[in-house]
Amino acid sequence: MSLALVVLLPFIGAILPPLMIRSGRTVCATVTGSVTLSSLVLLLIHAPAVYRGEVPVVAYEWLPSLGLRFSFFADGFGLFFAALILAIGLLIIIYARFYLGRDDPMGRFYCYLLLFQGAMLGIVLSDNVLLLLIFWELTSLSSFLLIGYWRHLPEGRQGARMALAVTGGGGLAMLAGMLLLGQITGSYELTEILGQGELVRASPLYLPALLLILLGAFTKSAQFPFHFWLPHAMAAPTPVSAYLHSATMVKAGIFLLGRLWPVLAGTEAWFLIVGGTGLVTMVIAAWIALFKDDLKALLAFSTVSHLGLVTMLWGFATPFAAVAAVFHILNHATFKCALFMTAGIVDHEVHSRDARRLGGLLHLMPITGTLALVASASMAGLPPLNGFLSKEMMLEAAGHARPPAYPWLVPGLATFGALLSVAYSARYAVHVFLGPVRDDYPQHPHDPPAGMWLPVAVLVALVVLIGLFPAAIAGPIVAGASDAILGGALPDYKLALWHGITPALLMSAVATAGGLVLLALFWPVRAVRDAMPRPEAKRIFDAIVLGAANAARRASYGLHNGQLQRYVMFFVVSVLVLILVGWQTGRLDAGTREPLAAGYLAGIAWLLLLAGCIGIVAYHRQRFLALILTSLVGLIVSLAFLYLSAPDLALTQISVEVVTTILMLLALNFLPKETVAESSVARRLRDGALALGSGAAFAAIVHDVLTRDFTSISAYHLEQSKPGGGGTNVVNVILVDFRGYDTYGEIIVLGIAGLAIFALLDGALRGPAARRLARWAPDQPRAADLHPLIPVVATRVMLPLALMVGVYIFLRGHNLPGGGFISALVVAIALLMQYMASGFGWAEQRIRFDYHVLIGWGVLIAGLTGLGAWLFGLPFLTSGFDYFHFPVVGEVELATAAIFDLGVFLTVVGAVMVALANLSRIARRAEPIPVPQEPMDYTAPVPEPATTAEGR
Amino acid sequence: MLIAEAVVAALLLTGSFFLLVGSVGLLKLPDLMTRLHAPTKATTLGIGSVLIASVVYFAAIEGRVSIHELLITLFLFLTAPVTAHMVAKAHLHRDRATAERLPPAAGGGGWATLDDDPEPGARSEPSGP
Repeated sequence: MSLALVVLLPFIGAILPPLMIRSGRTVCATVTGSVTLSSLVLLLIHAPAVYRGEVPVVAYEWLPSLGLRFSFFADGFGLFFAALILAIGLLIIIYARFYLGRDDPMGRFYCYLLLFQGAMLGIVLSDNVLLLLIFWELTSLSSFLLIGYWRHLPEGRQGARMALAVTGGGGLAMLAGMLLLGQITGSYELTEILGQGELVRASPLYLPALLLILLGAFTKSAQFPFHFWLPHAMAAPTPVSAYLHSATMVKAGIFLLGRLWPVLAGTEAWFLIVGGTGLVTMVIAAWIALFKDDLKALLAFSTVSHLGLVTMLWGFATPFAAVAAVFHILNHATFKCALFMTAGIVDHEVHSRDARRLGGLLHLMPITGTLALVASASMAGLPPLNGFLSKEMMLEAAGHARPPAYPWLVPGLATFGALLSVAYSARYAVHVFLGPVRDDYPQHPHDPPAGMWLPVAVLVALVVLIGLFPAAIAGPIVAGASDAILGGALPDYKLALWHGITPALLMSAVATAGGLVLLALFWPVRAVRDAMPRPEAKRIFDAIVLGAANAARRASYGLHNGQLQRYVMFFVVSVLVLILVGWQTGRLDAGTREPLAAGYLAGIAWLLLLAGCIGIVAYHRQRFLALILTSLVGLIVSLAFLYLSAPDLALTQISVEVVTTILMLLALNFLPKETVAESSVARRLRDGALALGSGAAFAAIVHDVLTRDFTSISAYHLEQSKPGGGGTNVVNVILVDFRGYDTYGEIIVLGIAGLAIFALLDGALRGPAARRLARWAPDQPRAADLHPLIPVVATRVMLPLALMVGVYIFLRGHNLPGGGFISALVVAIALLMQYMASGFGWAEQRIRFDYHVLIGWGVLIAGLTGLGAWLFGLPFLTSGFDYFHFPVVGEVELATAAIFDLGVFLTVVGAVMVALANLSRIARRAEPIPVPQEPMDYTAPVPEPATTAEGR
Repeated sequence: MLIAEAVVAALLLTGSFFLLVGSVGLLKLPDLMTRLHAPTKATTLGIGSVLIASVVYFAAIEGRVSIHELLITLFLFLTAPVTAHMVAKAHLHRDRATAERLPPAAGGGGWATLDDDPEPGARSEPSGP
């Protein structure tokens, strides 16, 4: 358990900093630090067991069907990385407390940092590879937040986006690779996969799996040709750069290579791809680093170079190289993190990171300068520092890697890389800290508060101590981690400063001397280099992204051009094609049922329907007329429901018809009364053919369905309505009980639609839309009495009657036609009539409740009714009913479904009234009319469009 | 029984007659204002007779009291005049020729649909806060 807690603690603790920031920055940093510290302590509790050779494991099932388990394990390698992450994290937290300015939201920073820390720990401690991938992507996401922490800087946002695109994309490739690996070995648990190296390397899927996994690892660790994102991520605050981009995140790829080393390493493909990429990255990045003027960019490329070094060591696939890789990971984390922090201090104190504007800082900031000099000496690989030790081991390993064709290629290039490394390290030291003191610094520098240089000092002390006493301090850690990778067969190696005169020492001497010469010739070399053309990685990346975005846009806009008619056409055509295919391929006998006589009543209704439809087609440009004709169609449809014994549907249809017609009338008021003819004749002919075709097809389908016997679920519903749902109105029982979950979903959708109407129309009250609205003038003459006496009085008299009808329909709904939906529409119509007759202003002043809240209550009541079933141990939305005897009233049935229906009722009323209220807000903004006080009112000449405050 | 049947039959016949008159009027009368009388007056009367026939039928022959008809009557008597009134007003408002033939309104001040308030501001307050 405690192993899982190591990972979870930072995630849980991430809520603390944003809360604690109110108590001050120091408290906030302390709390964050204590979260990390407790996680570290929990981790170190496992250390003795791990170094005894045990592997603590903890596992919980998560999604067993996918093979995803919540499982962690700690071996020497995982423990080494986890301790590195937490220990350096602690130093970074202290450093960031003093680095961040007063205006930077520190709570947010620490929150992101802890999220990142948890994700990183998840990577190094996960047992399940799918879980590992989840954490892998979480580091991409949290590093996105951290890189873009200074949201106001465009470089920060672009850098964050680039890092996310590259590392996230690589993560996807790795997901595929991991799935392949799981397929080969039959398990997603690392502890099981690691033992099956032979099987994996012999599998035909080995190469694709290797390539995909390497894609993930190389993007994360910024290996060539994906090295370009790391320098752009330097737009982040320096603590982030020091933590993510030197010590932890970029090492995730390296970590994974080491983790899968026992399984994947040892083939020719591995040597060529991993070793080759590492070597190329090491040399190219070191070359670029030498000429970067921005200190952080210099350090970023040097990081890329050192990561290439480690990748190359993994690529050699010899046990000795693996030990060297582990050792160098440790050393690089210490000196590079220290160097980033000193760069941050310089930036903080001088307000410039440009190497050309700096120099002589050692005299002004003696502490920082000394620390930086020691750290850069370690980066250059000078004795007696830890960088020297691992560089020697690297050169030793490179000296043994001799492909027969080019025996001198690897040692030669490795020495050249080391030479460049000496050169840029020396440049960081000489051009920034040594030399004469200048008088043109942007700000006069001095040493920062101790909080900022102490973390650096701790790291530099480690650099020196590991360099002097490597076997005593780093020995057990390196041995434990290497042991976990190599599976118990440690090679013959010795961590020591002096091995005698070895080829590696000679190569090192050549590199140091050459590096110093190169720095001495820096400006001439640079002039030559500047004269040469160079590819700019960011420009290429931007071009690729732009190209992809343009292609996606062309593809989407090609299909979705925003024209609704077109979408409808796609629908109709595809349905028509499906029907035709079915018609051609299917087997269809003539119907067996006897057709019924239609009767003259149905004939008349049918003719009216037909007339209505033709009328709409003929007059669809005159919008009011089209609306009236549409409602005629709706009326006939509701009569048809009545004729076919579906009173519930008829009631619903007619009330929906009334509400929509009124709302559309109100909306049409602001639109032109006629539509302009836009479509060509050919197009209209095409649409007409489509419409006739689909109509004929549907008529045929309906005819075929109705002329044969078929069984459906309706018999069951009819049977179970009374015993199962306690109501005799099957439609209502289905709505609130049998298919209550559907209804619940539907009212939520309705509520969202209501809010969407609010959002859309609210936009019309702001900005340019509002100004256009204020200029709007009615396109038809207005009557002098806008609110005539007779309808005003009639609707007011009708209001209680209509409300009573609504209540009545609601109450009887369970057994007779009616229910919450219809009753809500009736109530809405009663209220709509007030708006229509007495004016928006008058009605708004009197109907004072908030319709948004009504929608919320409706959904809430319906949901709570559903949850109520849980109290009785029943599934969600199980309804209960019973009969109760009341004095006077008699026996009454009470069902929980009625409460659910109340929720439906409130949501529907709310949604309709939100639409109405927002139309009325628009109307009042467009035509500010005085609110009448008496039923009969003349309205004086309509006032000028005034800028009166919005009334409610 | 026979008497009840006779009463129902008579009421139904009366109702049908007035409904027919209303429909013929809607078809035949010359302009909107006169045509408006047919469906509102004659038809209302006709429907009323049919509804009374229904009440009598259920009370005397089926032997139970039905109040639906009363409600229908109530709503019908409420809606028909309002509809007629609104149609007439809309016609006045839109058809200038009719508006010009109107007699002067009693009590001065003009026709509500067409003319402005003689005492502006006396009956209304500015729109809400």
